[in-house]
Amino acid sequence: MADVIALFLDTLSFTLTLLLVTLGLVVIFGMMNVINMAHGEFFLLGAYVVVVVTGAGGSFWLALVLAPLVLAFIGFALEWLVIRHIYHRFIDTILATWGISIALKQAITIMFGPGLQSVPNPLPGTIDLAGIEYPLYRLFIMAMGLLLAAGTYLVFFRTPIGLTARGVIANRAMSASLGINTRRLDWATFAFGAALAGFAGAVMAPIMSVDPQMGVGFLVPSFLAVLVGGVNSLVGALLGSALIGGTSTGLSAYLSQADTQILVFLLAMMVIRFFPNGLTGGKR
Amino acid sequence: MLEVKNLVAGYRSGGRVLDGVSFSLAAGEIVALLGRNGMGKTTLMRTLTGQLQLQEGSINFEGTDLTNRPSFRFAKAGIGYVPQGREVFTDFSVEQNLMMGVLGKDGIFARLPDNAFDVFPILGERRQQRAGTLSGGQQQQLAIMRALVGRPKLLLLDEPSEGIQPSIVDEIAVTLARIARETGLTILVVEQNLEFVQALASRVMFMENGRIAGATDTVADLHTQTDLIHRYLSI
Repeated sequence: MADVIALFLDTLSFTLTLLLVTLGLVVIFGMMNVINMAHGEFFLLGAYVVVVVTGAGGSFWLALVLAPLVLAFIGFALEWLVIRHIYHRFIDTILATWGISIALKQAITIMFGPGLQSVPNPLPGTIDLAGIEYPLYRLFIMAMGLLLAAGTYLVFFRTPIGLTARGVIANRAMSASLGINTRRLDWATFAFGAALAGFAGAVMAPIMSVDPQMGVGFLVPSFLAVLVGGVNSLVGALLGSALIGGTSTGLSAYLSQADTQILVFLLAMMVIRFFPNGLTGGKR
Repeated sequence: MLEVKNLVAGYRSGGRVLDGVSFSLAAGEIVALLGRNGMGKTTLMRTLTGQLQLQEGSINFEGTDLTNRPSFRFAKAGIGYVPQGREVFTDFSVEQNLMMGVLGKDGIFARLPDNAFDVFPILGERRQQRAGTLSGGQQQQLAIMRALVGRPKLLLLDEPSEGIQPSIVDEIAVTLARIARETGLTILVVEQNLEFVQALASRVMFMENGRIAGATDTVADLHTQTDLIHRYLSI
């Protein structure tokens, strides 16, 4: 029984972290029709903000606040410098963001080396949950994931800014003809998506091996989650993250890493075979 | 209030749909733009909202040069647009559609004006209904109201009567005429429906091969002016 609960909690925490990365991807794709191959590196940079801040003697909590801010700025800068020039060239956005991802990864390798960075756990200790000792920090991650996912949902579906954003996603030209500055929404969205990924990277840093490859490890399941859930839907992001995160964690308790990956990929293929537009069928 | 000179626009490849359009509108005027299909009417409307870039020419609106400015600048300057096919946000409620009309103009604290649901009473009845479930005529009324809540000075209407039952067409014409009379709204309307044009417009421009080819101020008996009708409208 205790094993089941622990597994359930692990699944939940992975799903929620995955959701933070996936949300950024979905929001950016929905708004700008850009598949952001550099999203994993935004996650990576978030973790390295923690490395830098704690290395300089700053507190982890400061780093956790700084990481999304830094990434929002980097996202804004990249959108302004690169992405806005190639919006109408869909394939080129994939190439360009892939190039950005390589550049960012190499920059990190040059500055910090290819090796592992360690980040101390800011909330050591465990908490007794229905008879099992569960790490306190993992619960914190879950709470943060829930909070941010709920916050994103509320912003998109309950505020005027969210209404505006959804309007632009549904019909960009008409929204502009109603006076909405779509350019401003573009860079704001890109910065917001980057900030979400940065926060996810920062919050995961203490329990992951922080090295220049860690972004890829999150980008691949995130893309799967987006494809499975549906590229244009926040609810889809949640469904996809739950499915991919759930099966990954669930299976890895019993199988080797490689077998787990194969099964998760197979599952994703099956879903896409029967729901080509994802589980939410492209519904927004 | 609106002065366009020598507009040239069209396909990215350089093909000219508009081939030197020049005209001007006076404040408070209601002008209809007629012409056969493919003559460039909708293309002209899209350049007047900034959705389509100009290859040549200039657009001046109330002393502001809008030539090749981004679309939202046209809207902020006071040009409201009701496109062909209406383009309401089908997944949004009626109220949310109207909100889109004020959010861009007034920012995120925008409120709908008091009369938002009175001008076309059906919109009040269907306030929380999804716009995609409305009939064509109701969607047209919604698209017009969505433009009007943004308090435009110039309203561009592209084929407002297309595919709509006659009683609603009449209601739209009467309502727009009243609003124009009361508020001094200027209207430029592309239309095929001569009755609608005669009920609303005080001047007619004819478009042919990407140019304004003719005009007339005698609109009331337009349907009897067979020479004009034959030249510019019959297929």
